[in-house]
Amino acid sequence: MKFVSFLLLFVPLMAVADRDAKSLIDEMEALYRGESSKATLTMKVETPQYSRTMQMESSSVGQQDAFIRILSPKKDRGISTLKLDKEMWNFFPKINKVIKVPPSMMMGSWMGSDFTNDDLVKQTTLTQEYDLQLTETLTEYNITLLPREQTVTVWGRIDYIVNKEHLVPVNQNFYDDEGIMIRKMVFSELKDFGGRIMPSVMEMIPLNKEGHRTVIIYDNLEFDPPDVDESTFTLRHLKSRF
Amino acid sequence: MLLIKLAFRNIFRQRRRSLLTALSLTGGYVLSVFSISMQDGSYANAIAFFTEDHSGHVQIHKDDYLDRAKIHKTIDNPNAIATILDKHPSIASYTTRVFAPALSYSDDGNTPVQLIGVDVLREKQTSRLYQKITDGNYFADSPNDDGYFSAMIGAGVANSLEVGLGDELILISQGADGSIANDIFIVSAIVGENNSPDKNTVFLPLSGAQSFLTMYGKVHQFSILLTDISDAREVATELQSSIPSLSVAPWQVVESSFYKTMQADREGNLVMLVIIGIIVFIGVLNTVLMSVLERSREFGVLKAMGSRPSKIVSMITLEVTMLSAMSIVLGLALAIPLTYWFSTAGIELPEPVDVGGIKMSRMTGLLTPTVFIIPMIGIFFAAIVVSIFPGLRAANVTPTAAMRSH
Repeated sequence: MKFVSFLLLFVPLMAVADRDAKSLIDEMEALYRGESSKATLTMKVETPQYSRTMQMESSSVGQQDAFIRILSPKKDRGISTLKLDKEMWNFFPKINKVIKVPPSMMMGSWMGSDFTNDDLVKQTTLTQEYDLQLTETLTEYNITLLPREQTVTVWGRIDYIVNKEHLVPVNQNFYDDEGIMIRKMVFSELKDFGGRIMPSVMEMIPLNKEGHRTVIIYDNLEFDPPDVDESTFTLRHLKSRF
Repeated sequence: MLLIKLAFRNIFRQRRRSLLTALSLTGGYVLSVFSISMQDGSYANAIAFFTEDHSGHVQIHKDDYLDRAKIHKTIDNPNAIATILDKHPSIASYTTRVFAPALSYSDDGNTPVQLIGVDVLREKQTSRLYQKITDGNYFADSPNDDGYFSAMIGAGVANSLEVGLGDELILISQGADGSIANDIFIVSAIVGENNSPDKNTVFLPLSGAQSFLTMYGKVHQFSILLTDISDAREVATELQSSIPSLSVAPWQVVESSFYKTMQADREGNLVMLVIIGIIVFIGVLNTVLMSVLERSREFGVLKAMGSRPSKIVSMITLEVTMLSAMSIVLGLALAIPLTYWFSTAGIELPEPVDVGGIKMSRMTGLLTPTVFIIPMIGIFFAAIVVSIFPGLRAANVTPTAAMRSH
């Protein structure tokens, strides 16, 4: 009995810690999206063999829906990606074809970058699929995410480091089942986007592929833009020429 | 000289026995020649087929592209390589290619394909691609008025996508710069049949394939035809030293699994020939031994008169060698016309065999000096070995005991 009450004493505490970690992650994940958002991005893909730069435009509503369209280079112009809830499609204007990304390809590379399709569409909701542990340092929150037993994932652990002052992500480290760090994402260059301070540069570095690196630079980010509404996130819009 | 005369007389003393021995030797010889001719002939045919069909005699790649093909392992300066190849006297023709796996789509479905971009003009002189077209026309190098390149597709692709001549074919692949390659091509020809190795291949003109895969001006492979296939290794070594930055491989390396199988099969055949040889020579040994036993009185006399044992051994060896020589002359008289007929006319196969999309309707042999010389050396060698034991026996007789026997 005593033991149970001892346990009970801890339950609320743990719950509080858990909710904190959860709300932190949710906040981070929502940072670049808000209720709805529209961004212009530059993506630089660097590998030992090639490097290329793409300009793109992305719109999103909440965590569920996203729409990305490549603006340049000319060869890729118009290639678009639509994510609705847990589904994802790519549209190729040259061949006028919409191709659904199968679940098996979710961990595959998006347009040859070091970002996976899953990174892009956030099909996996971190707070639902992972157990969270929060630790703090003077300036940072360090949230460790461990996959739940039933979670289907390639990651054995994710470290999510958050800047306390601005409440923005600093670092995300991804580990495999053996605890070896496979890739890391670094956030930098804090910038004011319509009143919100957030990192404008995201750098993805796969540690198992030497010389590979993908950098995303937010050139422009607008929240609750007037021209993003439900019609943006439709297959019809995906197929529209522009 | 006396020895030769003696040996010659001894052979003709027992005509019937000598004739039978000679016939079995002749039979063994003709059989060996024919078997080697047939095996080497069918291999030479197979090699000629695939080298002229697609692989060429020598290939050039970047690094280990041959073992581990990666789209970025490219030959970046094909023109510089071409200049070197143009100067080489043993090179008959060459062509450049790019390769990539791709997904092909039509309105009726999709199927994975192997994409090969070929130099439209050079490919015609270097491989059999042009001859393999079963329907339609060989493609042009430039895009049509709408900006679409043409494609030649394997019969399997045509069937599973239900596309025909003039139809659109959609291809999706990964470009060399990591981008998603996607474009429309117009089917200009169907290549091969439903069971040929090219059935899941899509051929594109080189420039079309290069722009599709974002690898402008770069290629994956040089395929080279020589004036004489037997120079392949030599030319490859020469080219390797003049192009140290790339990997040059003769067909033996390019088709290494075929080559190894062939070598193993040849060794197996050799073992069989050796067994045939042993059987023939056990017969010969028996004959020689019999004749030595019969003539032990004679050897006793020879020794009593002061013949050295080595002379007697030489005489027996000479007898067997001369008998072998006569058999080989007879054997050549039979084998040369037979092999000639086999290598020119060949044997008509009841069912044509499809080799790399080319119908092979007859089996032909190989007519080269080697085919005749190898069994010849074998027979002479065996003759000497076989005559040593009876020779020693004859040389070691005690004159008194030998002369007293019958």
